[in-house]
Amino acid sequence: MNSQNPSRSVNPKAEADPSAAGPFLELRGIHKRFSGVYALRGIDLTIEAGQIYHLMGENGCGKSTLIKVISGALTPDEGSILIGGREVVLSPIGALSAGVETVYQDLSLLPNLSVAENTALSQQLVESGGHLARRIDRTRLMETAVRALSAVGLPTDARFCATAVEELPIATRQLVAIARAIATDAKLVIMDEPTSALTKREVENLIGVVDQLRAHGVAVLFVSHKLDESKSIGGRFIIMRDGAKVMEGNIADHSKSELGYWMTGKTLDVVRYRHGAHGGEPLLDVEHLGRAGAFSGVSFSLARGEIIGITGLLDSGRNELARALVGVSPADAGVIRLAGQPLTLRRPIDAIEAGIGYVPEDRLSEGLFLEKPVRSNIVAEVLGQLVNRFGKIDVGRSRSLAAKIAAELQIVAANLDNPVQSLSGGNQQRVLIGRGLTINPKLFVLHGPTIGVDVGSKDTIFRIIQKLAGDGMGVILISDDMPELLQNCDRIIVMRKGLIAETFEAETVDEDTLYRSLLLER
Amino acid sequence: MSNSTMTASDRPTQTSMAGLSGWLIRHPPLFTLLLIVLVSLVIGAISPQFWQVANIFDMARASVVTGLFGLGFLVVLAAGGIDMSFTAIAALLMYWLTTATASYAPWMPMGVVLAAAAVGGMLLGMCNGLLVHYLKAPALIVTIGTQYVIRSFLLTFIGTELFVNIPMSIEDFGKYEIWRVSTDNGSIAILPAYVLVLVVAGIVTWWILNRTLMGRAIFAIGGNSDIAERLGYDLKKVQVFAFAYSGLLAGVAGMLHVSSNRLANPFDLSGTELGVIAAVVLGGARITGGSGTVAGTLLGVVLVTLVNNVLILAGIPSTWQAFVVGCFIVLAGALFATRERR
Repeated sequence: MNSQNPSRSVNPKAEADPSAAGPFLELRGIHKRFSGVYALRGIDLTIEAGQIYHLMGENGCGKSTLIKVISGALTPDEGSILIGGREVVLSPIGALSAGVETVYQDLSLLPNLSVAENTALSQQLVESGGHLARRIDRTRLMETAVRALSAVGLPTDARFCATAVEELPIATRQLVAIARAIATDAKLVIMDEPTSALTKREVENLIGVVDQLRAHGVAVLFVSHKLDESKSIGGRFIIMRDGAKVMEGNIADHSKSELGYWMTGKTLDVVRYRHGAHGGEPLLDVEHLGRAGAFSGVSFSLARGEIIGITGLLDSGRNELARALVGVSPADAGVIRLAGQPLTLRRPIDAIEAGIGYVPEDRLSEGLFLEKPVRSNIVAEVLGQLVNRFGKIDVGRSRSLAAKIAAELQIVAANLDNPVQSLSGGNQQRVLIGRGLTINPKLFVLHGPTIGVDVGSKDTIFRIIQKLAGDGMGVILISDDMPELLQNCDRIIVMRKGLIAETFEAETVDEDTLYRSLLLER
Repeated sequence: MSNSTMTASDRPTQTSMAGLSGWLIRHPPLFTLLLIVLVSLVIGAISPQFWQVANIFDMARASVVTGLFGLGFLVVLAAGGIDMSFTAIAALLMYWLTTATASYAPWMPMGVVLAAAAVGGMLLGMCNGLLVHYLKAPALIVTIGTQYVIRSFLLTFIGTELFVNIPMSIEDFGKYEIWRVSTDNGSIAILPAYVLVLVVAGIVTWWILNRTLMGRAIFAIGGNSDIAERLGYDLKKVQVFAFAYSGLLAGVAGMLHVSSNRLANPFDLSGTELGVIAAVVLGGARITGGSGTVAGTLLGVVLVTLVNNVLILAGIPSTWQAFVVGCFIVLAGALFATRERR
């Protein structure tokens, strides 16, 4: 059928589905330009029913654009889209009625509507063709919701169905989003970085649901940065670079470093970044730190030049501990000493003044002023030092400081006056790290520094962290990315239920031991 | 408690939100109801006049215009917008239609006049909706602008004088009774028929919001317009509908205002927007959109009307009305904000 894709027909699952005479969806020669700049150049893609795909590539490689084309949010400049062998022009509602359901990172759930409505209302909207002057069939709404919710293993009682989605934890929301795909009889479910906010156990649950989808003949397209996860899920991969498809094949047939090479065009270290011994003079001393309802009795110490990892499940208190250390949500018991001085951290400014740098977990909502220039974002914490005696910000000094940081951290921006949201995720993250560095911190608290960051940028960020520690800074790395912790830390603290459960030497522990420690008592 | 067991176990701290305040936070209209009961009990204890039928009927009558405005505002607010122009729309249509009917067609039945007011309000509302949609400007700013334009149009081109010779049909409509009660002291309390208009509007609004795709689309857009658009909800249709609906109810409210007062004053209604917004917010709707109920809004309207009309019975100077409403708003705001913060 399509000679450009020789290895396509190896999957027996597709033949098992009687309705699938040909591929479900085909893209032929898709081009997309934004004001003359190529985002996609001649993409060919075939999606078979019941098959799993992993769309991989660095930030800015065109993955998101491609997803938007498939989901009808963008119209390609050239090329054709075929669904069930027929050429179509897709709109958002058209793509939905053709059976393409996209679960974006924000899950596309309406926070204020109920679980039942989020699950089953799309079905009726699609059937009405987008016309809104229609009565809702509430009986059918509930029937569909119950069917779809039970298919993903969620409760189906009236109370759960009536709960507003904003009150659910993130993993449950994700399942609701998948239930919606089931309710609309999706043929292809696209998931944009679905696991970035989930713990390992939740990821496993998600993978179970995906398997079920596949068993029903639904194709699933993952967009993901996590090579480990993609390999454990299995299926086919498509790698993009600079708007073009550079490779595709069976994910089991290739090693992680091969995949990484195709994504970045360069060979990546998969070894430990952390070298050399720690054990400089003591820097941070935390004693019996606690915050009611979050964590208690947390004691540890950190030397200059040392990197400590802190991990745990979402309810383990690790996030709250991180926020307490930087004064965002203060501790209500215990002592924090930095270089021998006891600190009172009631507000973020207290931590900044004490020399504690912070990179928050969610760079979009907690970290960056998205519409403001890169430069302003970098210097935001030291504005007080940049004002002249008339109280006006010295633009020249602000520029040179931002330029120095950008060069140090290899921030790739066409112009430091461009809004920070125009940068890729990895560069945005480096802007945040750079901002933390402007205060010359003694202690640097990094919260999930590589969430949603591509492999190449991860490498750069890890090297930066190591260099900072090498210069004598103490670093606390809060993360649920185990390889990240193992590659970068000296010690790894595992938290459970608000307490420090175990502490490991990163050099000797392995991933499995860490996971088991994480999940104990659950 | 309305959370599933799953949520509760994942967020152990959340269940601590028990007790009265937690209950009220989860059910905002109950808070309004509680305030209504409190105010009624207090005023009723001070002044037995409060519980008299005549007073109750008075308040029902006084609720109608605010109620219609409130329902319209609720729909716009639920869709994530703000409408500041509804009083201007009401004032323009009531004065224009009243004077025009009196001069050219005094025989015109009230039904036709009301329909004209509804259509006129709808068209003006549609203009609001289209402006908000195509300018991609904040609805607050756009509708403050249209409020000024409409009001200036009214005062420049239609008239500035108090108009008292209102047509018979309009005057008679305000006199229809559905309930007449003779009270102990020999006076007669009358419940006018036009309160039914509010009842019908309430039912229709509830039905639209809860039983049609448009209603859910309104909440969807108000919850998160980007996501709603991605899911296939048509932003333009929803915005135009919400503002048109608000305009329609404003037109009707304007005519009822004339009917009940038996005069048309072009300067009337101006400045009552904040009271309406207060009522809707007291009824539990978030000012940021995506929430709110018809029942809550009507309770909010009752509460505001209550404070505006009965404090005087308790011997409290009327200048204190705004103070009390203001305190209630701050209280409600603080209570409902904790719902967001969790």
